Amino acid sequence: MWRDWLLRAAQVIGSLLGALVLASLLATLSQPTHGFWPLLSVFCAKFMAALEGDFGRSAVTGARSMAAAVAAFPATLQLLTVGAVIALVIGIPLGIVLSASRALRAAAPLIEIIAAMPVFVAALALIWIAVRVLHWSDASQTSALSWTALVRSGGWNAAWQTFALPALTVGAAGAASVQLSLRRAAVRAWSAPYRNGLRMMGLGTLDIDLRYAVPEVIAALLRDAGEIALALISATAVAEWVFHRDGAAVLFLKSAAFGDWNVAAAVLFLFAIIKLVAEFLGLAASWLVAPDEGAA
Amino acid sequence: MSIVEGSGTKSRLRAAISAIGLAGVGLIAVVVAFGDVIARVPAGAVKVGPPSLPPQVVYAFGTDALGRDVMSETVHALTVTFSSAVLATIIAIVVGAIAGFAAVRAPLRLGIALRGIMGVFGSVPVLLLAVVAVGIAGHEFAPIAAGLAASPSIFNRSFDRAMRLARSRHAEYARATGIPASTLLRRDLVYEVRGNFLNVAGRALASTTIALATLGFLGFGATPPHADLGLMIAAARATYLDQWWPALFPALALILLILFARLAAALDEGEPP
Repeated sequence: MWRDWLLRAAQVIGSLLGALVLASLLATLSQPTHGFWPLLSVFCAKFMAALEGDFGRSAVTGARSMAAAVAAFPATLQLLTVGAVIALVIGIPLGIVLSASRALRAAAPLIEIIAAMPVFVAALALIWIAVRVLHWSDASQTSALSWTALVRSGGWNAAWQTFALPALTVGAAGAASVQLSLRRAAVRAWSAPYRNGLRMMGLGTLDIDLRYAVPEVIAALLRDAGEIALALISATAVAEWVFHRDGAAVLFLKSAAFGDWNVAAAVLFLFAIIKLVAEFLGLAASWLVAPDEGAA
Repeated sequence: MSIVEGSGTKSRLRAAISAIGLAGVGLIAVVVAFGDVIARVPAGAVKVGPPSLPPQVVYAFGTDALGRDVMSETVHALTVTFSSAVLATIIAIVVGAIAGFAAVRAPLRLGIALRGIMGVFGSVPVLLLAVVAVGIAGHEFAPIAAGLAASPSIFNRSFDRAMRLARSRHAEYARATGIPASTLLRRDLVYEVRGNFLNVAGRALASTTIALATLGFLGFGATPPHADLGLMIAAARATYLDQWWPALFPALALILLILFARLAAALDEGEPP
């Protein structure tokens, strides 16, 4: 067992190094060179610097790239965290309901109509509903103001309206990912061959579900934590853009548009860390929930 | 794994869902093929009618603030999005699915190394990878960027599936009886294409369509006058709270395209890589 976990830890470290190589390659673009050897030399220098957390300076502002990325990160993390909570609150019941019985499982394809909506379309639809139906002020205009600044000045209503829509947008995208993971695991658990054997041994369906299927499904959801994190990061990038929030994702998009590759590399590396850490923690938690399944 | 998998009735249900999806994608392909006939005016033609006219008999989808016919613009944008998405899907299938399948049999553990590299690319969201690729190569390469960005997750799924097949009992027997690895690969590839091609292609089409439309919306995709659906929605954003029609119809076209692609895959959602 410990060998498995050492192997997994080595995989995570390998993936982190790989992400660092990817980010260094991207940062290499900020220094135009001709020929293979000069390029390799620049890449090696960038990689060694990146190992120490130095991704060079922004071509636009001149600030340290990692410092700029880290400064923009709290806003993104705030959105990601609230989005993740909403994703779990909506996604878990939805996944359970849609996989609870054969009839509901057959109705699950209906969710595809909603899942077919790209994140930016969902965000625009939410703004339209908020402004036209709920008579809120246009959230995409007021979002330029800091959420914490609004709270400090006592503008709770404005703060709520500013933060609710981007968080809902990210949460909805995450919920789609969570319910998909749950349904996928539920289909596997409900059709597992061991169920018939347990029934023949006299165990009731509820017992089988509670003792075997539920831990299996939760473990599968935890194992998909990395995938869910990716969905949340993608949705955060779009939500920050639509709602004019100055976070790391918007910094990444602007950096890519202006060719400021040092900053883009730093942000990309931080996002990769979030995904890899979520994946590792999910695997560890899945092992705690269902040791046999978690090691799969 | 499909949410409607199984045999008998469920298999027929899957087949029916897939047929509906294929019919939908086919219908969109017909609209795209006859786009210049269906659209009354060329792409980007302004002052075709009075500005900001809501949908009515003459202008079925209305007109936008510049007097452009929204229906014609939607058909042109659908053409750009669909053709780009098909190109991106072909790239994703070749670089992702087929390469992933073949990599398992690559010599000197090359396949394992490739799986590791693709795993690293897979730790970055498809959208951000596509943005980087467009930033490096330019807007005109957006379809290639979207196809390449969607490839890592498809590669990883395909590789893992092929690895299971390569370690299966039939493969062991085949190797023991002296059947060459290349013959075994061809056999597995034929079965894979026959059994899963539609699912992989449908999922890839949906994924690349979302990536391309989002790239267009963020300003990293198609450029005017060849606007895609994402760019068209982005352009309508300034006025859509008062005039909903220039944003709604391209959004509906986009949702239908993604929905039909997913239905064509029989709602197969694939195993996580």
